[in-house]
Amino acid sequence: MFRSVESVLGILIIIGAGAVVYDVLAGSRGLDLGYFQANWLRYARAVQVNLLATSIAFVVGMGIGFLVGWARSTRTQPIRKILSDFHQAKVQGTARGRSALAVTIAVAGVRHYLRRIADGYVEAIRGTPLFVQIIFAYAVATTFYPRLAGVEFFAGVVALTINTGAYQGETFRAGLQTVHTGQVEAARALGLSRWGAMRHVVLPQALRLVVPPLTNEYIGLFKASALLYFISVFEITFLSKQEAYQGHPFESFAMITGIFLLITVTIARVVQYFEARFRIPGLGIEPARD
Amino acid sequence: MIRTEDIHKHFGALHVLRGITLEVTRGDVLVIIGPSGSGKSTFLRCINLLVRPDEGRVFIDGVQVNRADIRPEWVRQQVGMVFQSFNLFTHLTALENVALGPIRVKKAPRDEAETKARQLLARVGLAAKEQSYPAELSGGQQQRVAIARALAMDPKAMLFDEPTSALDPEYIREVLDVMANLAHEGMTMIVVTHEMGFASSVASRIVFMDGGIILEEGRPLDIFEHPKNERTRAFVSKILR
Repeated sequence: MFRSVESVLGILIIIGAGAVVYDVLAGSRGLDLGYFQANWLRYARAVQVNLLATSIAFVVGMGIGFLVGWARSTRTQPIRKILSDFHQAKVQGTARGRSALAVTIAVAGVRHYLRRIADGYVEAIRGTPLFVQIIFAYAVATTFYPRLAGVEFFAGVVALTINTGAYQGETFRAGLQTVHTGQVEAARALGLSRWGAMRHVVLPQALRLVVPPLTNEYIGLFKASALLYFISVFEITFLSKQEAYQGHPFESFAMITGIFLLITVTIARVVQYFEARFRIPGLGIEPARD
Repeated sequence: MIRTEDIHKHFGALHVLRGITLEVTRGDVLVIIGPSGSGKSTFLRCINLLVRPDEGRVFIDGVQVNRADIRPEWVRQQVGMVFQSFNLFTHLTALENVALGPIRVKKAPRDEAETKARQLLARVGLAAKEQSYPAELSGGQQQRVAIARALAMDPKAMLFDEPTSALDPEYIREVLDVMANLAHEGMTMIVVTHEMGFASSVASRIVFMDGGIILEEGRPLDIFEHPKNERTRAFVSKILR
């Protein structure tokens, strides 16, 4: 009961604040409603560029993120430990023991360096501004392909991909590590292989766990795609700025705000619906309650 | 049925198992007792190779199984295991938990595996819970599903690693009853437990482990009433109190 009174109050305050802002910005000359009708299609087209860039980056970044998260969630063994294991297994004198040792050390070495590379990638990307990464990607792309058509879009997508790959890597790492080790042990005890345990026990749980954070990542990336205007990708912010300077500051601001809100809120709601629909008791966090 | 010869295991500098030699014949119920950290769980895991022994030999049905040319996955299909913390697959229903092994490991047809899973759930008294997820079951019910899951692979023997230690007292009975039934049906079992009532009524033999070695071995009555070893006596008097 109080909750609904509170939310009505909240909405009234937001509408009131909006009215004040409107009055300050457009009050003296009024809002040109005809502008929306005449121009909405141009905005809709422009935002498709944002959606396209975001979606390509998100999907490719998901592949990168999964591999990075996997690499960072596996345990690596120090060489000393491998040597002492072999020492204790009492096979070091035999030819088979020697070749097995060589293979084990080679595999452990490759894993060790893949792990370090993944660590460095995540640190470097998460520790620097996305804006800088976009400008850097654009600078590199225009240096090597100055005449390529659409080079700014290409550079923008690459920057977004590399950025989201690192963030999704952390999401996947957390998801994989949240699945309890007892689950893997139980799967192995049934006779499933390492990969079988991953495929049938760990992944189905981890993938459910990462849906909410990945949704947030997609929405965050979509909003961040507005930054591409700085390297002259003709997306919605670019159009909006242009229109603002041509005498429609409030209309273009209202338009871009409405479009972003419409898309982000819709995505969040749709994912929430499916999450609730396919929810498994005891797995993941409870949905927000009223 | 299961035989181990001089099993040793190190974890880093820690020498956890210092030469365990044991034999369990078909239909035997062996209960292992001992203070925590004595290597009981590690020893159980050496039998189905979840932990690889550094030295020594493990035999199942006369075949040495800790060899490079025998796949550990094959060994684990011969011996079922039940864990202290149940470890039911969180994302699957009780029925799917029991059917997963036969479907994914033995490649059994789904309907066949599910029919069998239903029978096993009925056998542990949970026919009505087949569509429940683990989070919707009590600890005792979860552990009974875990037993059914292990039985679904038609194991030759079963290993129980403190199956009732994580349970609230009111659920211990129902799990022990299922285990006792299993024993009466002739299942070969190795059980790590401190449930002395179960041990004295069901066990055919009891082994007392401490510091990675077997200190004493005998019939339940001998171990509980007339322990020979000083440390066995001290331990038994503590848990029987």
